[in-house]
Amino acid sequence: MSTVELVAADELAATRPAIGARRRVMRRLLRNPLAVGGLAVVVVAVGAALLADVVSPYAYDQTDFGAALQPPSGSHWFGTDELGRDQLSRVLFGLRASVLVAVMSVALSMAVGVPLGLAAGFYGLVDPVVSRLTDTLLSFPFLVLAVGLAAILGPSLTTATVAIGIAQVPAVIRVTRGETLRLRGLDFVAAAVADGATDGVVLRRHIFPNAVNALIVQATVAAPAAIIGESVLSFLGLGIRPPDPSLGVMLASAQPLFRDGPWMAVIPGLVIVAVTLGLNLLGDGLRDALDPREAPR
Amino acid sequence: MKPPLLTVDGLTVLFRTEDGPVLAVDAASFDVAEREVLAIVGESGCGKSVTALALTRLLPGSASIGGSVSLTGRSLLSLGESQLRDVRGRDIAYVFQEPMTSLNPVLTVGRQIGEVLRRHQGLRGAAVTRRATELLDMVGIPLPGRRVGEYPHQLSGGMRQRVMIAMAIACRPKLLIADEPTTALDVTVQAGILDVLRDLRGEIGMAVLLITHDLGVVADIADRVVVMYAGRVIEQAPTEQLFAHHGHHYTHGLLDAVPNPARHAEGGLREIPGRVPTMRSSPDACTFADRCGSADDTCRTARPDLAPGPAGHLVRCWHPLQPANAVLPADIGEGPR
Repeated sequence: MSTVELVAADELAATRPAIGARRRVMRRLLRNPLAVGGLAVVVVAVGAALLADVVSPYAYDQTDFGAALQPPSGSHWFGTDELGRDQLSRVLFGLRASVLVAVMSVALSMAVGVPLGLAAGFYGLVDPVVSRLTDTLLSFPFLVLAVGLAAILGPSLTTATVAIGIAQVPAVIRVTRGETLRLRGLDFVAAAVADGATDGVVLRRHIFPNAVNALIVQATVAAPAAIIGESVLSFLGLGIRPPDPSLGVMLASAQPLFRDGPWMAVIPGLVIVAVTLGLNLLGDGLRDALDPREAPR
Repeated sequence: MKPPLLTVDGLTVLFRTEDGPVLAVDAASFDVAEREVLAIVGESGCGKSVTALALTRLLPGSASIGGSVSLTGRSLLSLGESQLRDVRGRDIAYVFQEPMTSLNPVLTVGRQIGEVLRRHQGLRGAAVTRRATELLDMVGIPLPGRRVGEYPHQLSGGMRQRVMIAMAIACRPKLLIADEPTTALDVTVQAGILDVLRDLRGEIGMAVLLITHDLGVVADIADRVVVMYAGRVIEQAPTEQLFAHHGHHYTHGLLDAVPNPARHAEGGLREIPGRVPTMRSSPDACTFADRCGSADDTCRTARPDLAPGPAGHLVRCWHPLQPANAVLPADIGEGPR
């Protein structure tokens, strides 16, 4: 074979149609049945939470003592509680609270944790300070932190969100810092510095985008944890207070009535499990689909 | 005579390590003229890459740099960090050895070239893509209009190295520093990359500082050669002169170690006995003395200076070879073709 042919073969080594990055990720995600299942659950849950006012058959606080403690039936799909409130409506509004807490607490933990993690991984002088801060935060048990916050702010959805968000900051810092340390040593970062890139550009364009995959995975672990955390805090009376509905509030009020109305506990519990599982499956699928090094099939 | 583009005078790089100081570059001095291709050759660990990185202070904090580096009369080592960032990529651009890992996997090729254009030339919007496409075309990438929107994983090693070169020449630098640009590539692809460098030097009028251990590449493209050993410049000559009339025993050993089919019958590959020493400080001796067949007491107790040798060019040796000891460029071959 002549040199010319060899060179030509090299130049044409990878002639695939160039398609948009977003479309490629979607296509790869939709090829994974587990991820599609997770996506479906999450879409239904978020949709139901957003449209709770529209789709609920009853108001969440409408009592009907003539129909108290009814098992699931045609008129009350999820049954009723001891005050005759429709459990389906309460689950829908409770889901809204859960989704809100999950989204806001993850956003809060990222907003605080990502810049700190980037700084810790990139600047050797900042690292010990941030790392000690992380250790300090980690040494606070989550519930003690939440109790303390509730004492200051009073139990509410905001308290639950802030407590869960702060509790998740150390994990975000560690993930971001680890990724930054790994990426900082790579050749393309050195090449960018040699091209005159400022620290800001290196962090924004080269390190952060490559750390996004790890952060998405972190978010899909943190979101279900936040939903469970909200349930725990509300169950203990530190988060959302009755009569406002939340999945944790429902579990708490179902507890003493478990023998008379097991559906009151089982159904919100199953919803928590389903949403958590759905988010985890979606996260796994996204992690695989987002890896740009995996050749599009 | 025109003043040189780049003047390096007494460049010294000392690393602080846990095992004590390591002297990576020991008072290296050389010039690069405008439009010249200067090769720095030597074994791994001789300080050639560190020299290249030290020129724009791209070394980690454990390194202390001494001496002076000036580009068109402007002293680089005394510049502040932000002024140096303006020099990097605009006046002095780098191409590194590993094209497979030197591109950011999550940015398209056009976007990465665009970063340099945005940074140094203030281009925005469609002008960035247009210029990036032009640059890909200049470095010989077919279908540049489509490649500009592709990700690094969609390109082969040779094409990635061309992209790296496109990024490096984006701002028409005065000096391109290519650190082993062809080492990670197939021989056939190497030839293509060297052609691109040669063409661009003419088109843009830039000088090239080529760091390599491949004497075939040197014979192919370099105008002048600096030979480094254990952190010191030991010989400096125009390429033809070096191949024909080298004066240092180490240079002779390097050239003699190049595989040569004609000599295979006589007993295979030659090598230089021993290894490159790691210097803790600058010894008052020839650093090559321990591996040199012609070394005597003078070599072990007194430091030779870089001075004109028997063939007229600079050699750092007490007992330089006479011009008769020639290895002709024809024996080395015309590079990887």
